[in-house]
Amino acid sequence: MANVAKKVSWSGRDLDDEDDDDEEEEGRAGEATPLLNGTGPGAGGARQFTPSSFLRIGQLSNVDLNEDVHELETELPRQYPNEIPHNEKLLSLKYESLDYDNSENQLFLEEERRINHAAFRTVEIKRWVICAMIGILTGLVACFIDIVVENLAGLKYRVVKDNIDKFTEKGGLSFSLLLWATLNASVVMVGSVIVAFIEPVAAGSGIPQIKCYLNGVKIPHVVRLKTLVIKVCGVILSVVGGLAVGKEGPMIHSGAVIAAGISQGRSTSLKRDFKIFEYFRRDTEKRDFVSAGAAAGVSAAFGAPVGGVLFSLEEGASFWNQFLTWRIFFASMISTFTLNSVLSVYHGNAWDLSSPGLINFGRFDSEKMGYTIQEIPIFIFMGVVGGILGALFNALNYWLTMFRIRYIHRPCLQVIEAMLVAAVTAAVGFVMIYCSRDCQPIQGSTVAYPLQLFCADGEYNSMATAFFNTPEKSVVNLFHDPPGSYNPMTLGMFTLMYFFLACWTYGLTVSAGVFIPSLLIGAAWGRLFGISLSYLTKGSIWADPGKYALMGAAAQLGGIVRMTLSLTVIMMEATGNVTYGFPIMLVLMTAKIVGDYFVEGLYDMHIQLQSVPFLHWEAPVTSHSLTAREVMSTPVTCLRRIERVGTVVDILSDTSSNHNGFPVVESNPDATQVAGLRGLILRSQLIVLLKHKVGDPRGGSCWAGWVVSGTAVPLGTGPRMSQPAWPGSLLQEASLPRVFKLFRALGLRHLVVVDNRNEVVGMVTRKDLARYRLGKEGLEELSLAQT
Amino acid sequence: MALPGDQVSPTALPWAQVSPRALPWGPRVPPRPCPRHKRPLRPLPWVKCPPVPAPGTELALSPARGLAPPPRPSAVAPPLGCCPAPRPLPRPSAVNSSESHNCAKSILTSDRLQVVVMLSEFFNETWEAANCANCLKNNSEGLSDSTEEFLELFNKSLTCFEQNLQGEALDLPPSNYTEVCKNCNATYRMLNERYNYLQRMNRQGGEAGHSAHLCIDVEDAMNITRKLWSRTFNCSVPCSDTVPVIAVSSFILFLPVVFYLSSFLHSKQKKRILILPKRIQSNASLVNIQEKYS
Repeated sequence: MANVAKKVSWSGRDLDDEDDDDEEEEGRAGEATPLLNGTGPGAGGARQFTPSSFLRIGQLSNVDLNEDVHELETELPRQYPNEIPHNEKLLSLKYESLDYDNSENQLFLEEERRINHAAFRTVEIKRWVICAMIGILTGLVACFIDIVVENLAGLKYRVVKDNIDKFTEKGGLSFSLLLWATLNASVVMVGSVIVAFIEPVAAGSGIPQIKCYLNGVKIPHVVRLKTLVIKVCGVILSVVGGLAVGKEGPMIHSGAVIAAGISQGRSTSLKRDFKIFEYFRRDTEKRDFVSAGAAAGVSAAFGAPVGGVLFSLEEGASFWNQFLTWRIFFASMISTFTLNSVLSVYHGNAWDLSSPGLINFGRFDSEKMGYTIQEIPIFIFMGVVGGILGALFNALNYWLTMFRIRYIHRPCLQVIEAMLVAAVTAAVGFVMIYCSRDCQPIQGSTVAYPLQLFCADGEYNSMATAFFNTPEKSVVNLFHDPPGSYNPMTLGMFTLMYFFLACWTYGLTVSAGVFIPSLLIGAAWGRLFGISLSYLTKGSIWADPGKYALMGAAAQLGGIVRMTLSLTVIMMEATGNVTYGFPIMLVLMTAKIVGDYFVEGLYDMHIQLQSVPFLHWEAPVTSHSLTAREVMSTPVTCLRRIERVGTVVDILSDTSSNHNGFPVVESNPDATQVAGLRGLILRSQLIVLLKHKVGDPRGGSCWAGWVVSGTAVPLGTGPRMSQPAWPGSLLQEASLPRVFKLFRALGLRHLVVVDNRNEVVGMVTRKDLARYRLGKEGLEELSLAQT
Repeated sequence: MALPGDQVSPTALPWAQVSPRALPWGPRVPPRPCPRHKRPLRPLPWVKCPPVPAPGTELALSPARGLAPPPRPSAVAPPLGCCPAPRPLPRPSAVNSSESHNCAKSILTSDRLQVVVMLSEFFNETWEAANCANCLKNNSEGLSDSTEEFLELFNKSLTCFEQNLQGEALDLPPSNYTEVCKNCNATYRMLNERYNYLQRMNRQGGEAGHSAHLCIDVEDAMNITRKLWSRTFNCSVPCSDTVPVIAVSSFILFLPVVFYLSSFLHSKQKKRILILPKRIQSNASLVNIQEKYS
């Protein structure tokens, strides 16, 4: 819609100056009001002025008209300072709602009626085709990432290993350290530069962003092709750069972008429109496909198709139906199958289909990996530990992120920070390896890059398997290396160091996920736990520390991200062992309960820190005392059913009130008739109208053919774009939970509040509802801020 | 099936407890025949380790899969301790029907344990796990050239060890084998390089489904030499340059502190501009919120 807006320039001004697709129309309906309840700036002489002067007059009259309102809010402006440092109790104006609710106007209905039964069947088939394509492309992107990371990381580790081997004999290991740190830092620099300077929204794992998108918040640029490219390159570079990150989280974002791109059949980044799938170019359909894409991403990342579906269900389930579930499952399956077959061809054993996901936990079905009922309390205890450690991780990351938002906001600083983290990661790894005296025989082990250092010939440094490797491989090593491969000291130091490194790394301006680092931390302390358990009890039943590593990994991940259902299934599918479902579920439950007692999950925390107006499932529990009257924004810019072009143009071009939806009210209220609500019209619709129907907007000449229609206007007299019988209106006495429920269930963007006489008194939008949040001391109100 | 099993003296070399005091390398035999299991298996009395045949002899045991029971005695039903002597095999009832099939069936599956199959599988598995084929020529006639070269080097370094140790007093503290270290360094290096080279070659060729291991003889020989070299003789003393490493790493660790401090002090804190909401501010709600705050 905005592409249209861009070119339109009525009355000598750009409708939206430099905003593009996603950034137009910032703001909420009803902030400033040139027109109050239809009693606009006099139907008379104002129209004869040129638009610019008219605008001024409009603003002047605006002040006059709103005096009564200003009296009511005299207290408010003095309460807050105008500028405050960033904190978590803000809502950013940058974010908007998506139009999930189809605007059911005459044109829409006519369009839908024209599609007959057979055509609807074609649409249905197209949906399936799109889902298949989403699956295939997501799988291919995952393959690409995997193969490139494997090769580049292999190259890097070989170079460093050769260097270390050389200098171990001659002396001068500090050069190896410098080489390692420089390699890491330079690779990460490239990865960070592309993210910081080209597409900042590609930073991080992308899961919070997708969560917001599925919640109904439009995050600028989040599903662009450019974002996908930057994301994929960024992930590769940050994993190769040796940061404590994983490539699994970003797969979810990648899948979502692929889905959005395919389903719309066009790309804003390429400026290409392929003229296909035009039926799906609406937010509802796009959202459904994006949830399919997210599911396909999870499925490719972990080889967990069901987990992917449940992830979409858990994160975006506000709008759901069975057919959609089935389609999403299809996309997930296709995705994991594609990845599997391509990777198996790449690894040389075609049709073997042994690598269903980017990370394989390996097989957990040998006999010693089984668990007994006595171990379940132990697992629950591990869940508690995971919850506490996860909460600690989140709390530390919270402070760090706050500091970053406040002080490290310039792109060059962000790049430098990422480079420093990469160098320090290498340095810490090197020092740990250097100090470790834990040597293991090289024979029979599956170490990819055995590093001898000070060990005897034919042995390798056991700390190096954990640090001198990509994190995915380290996780699998921790799960499956035979008992005795690590000594407890090594594991303890590794856990400690990696915990802080991972916490420090998350939130950098690189694209990277937190799944694998969490799993790695958890696996390390879980294994340590298992070893000490078998040491304490001297029991042979509990001999294998691998399963404790798995439970520790689950506990730690659950403690950090606080996902429940989907995570259980993902872990279950990734291990390929259904009997582990029960202990994993218990562990995740415990971790979530314990963690929630302290702080909330990492993703929710980051959503809050980004000031996103995120709507939770329910209104805050103590909010029954608030009514719609207190929640709404009050003077609303309304349009009359028959409105002059000049007025419309001026409303649209007023930068201070770039609202997106305008209630349409009765045209000529007089003493007997009030300006009752008739419908709602969107900015995009108005723009289209202006583009196609306008006579001569310049000079504000009266144009009688211009009708913003409500219900009662005879068809054919004008464009029939506004939505009659608007469901989103309710009386001002309704309570906040009621408003919330209506808003959330219908996926609304605007909710018009009327009084007893059906007169518009206010408008509720997403930001009005998201303001109220249940904090530590009860109900809190967030402030709006320009970011 | 001519198994030249008698060529090798079955007295296993006690590699495991090798000590410089008593060097048991006296009779320089061809290396320990393949396969050797990691765990010291007590060999069953009738089982002889399938030996590496001398070059030129026909090799009976091919690493090919299938039931080619390598050790000859297994063709006879083994006298397991717990089981009575095997019953005579039942005669195949239908002579006309596919005789060989029936015969195989009656031999292989007649008893509950299926001992023949078990043993055959065990040997095949051990052969595979030890990766014996790796040391043999492609058509399994004798050792491959690279292996022979390696073994030659191996013998050379062992000789070197032996010679140099004879000059030493036997009750030296275990860290004082400087003679050995000095004199045998070249040979040991060569051996080590050779091994690494073999490993590299193997890994490159191993892309096509081969396992990445060399055969157990070579691995074992190298292992034992390395252990002697670095554990017993204590010859590989890497120069540890702790001071520069600590200096460089503390420099790197120090950088973020500088970075964060400077950005905290010099960077302008990002301020958010508050937007005043336009709404009816009824006192009730204000009170409601504020009282929750306090």
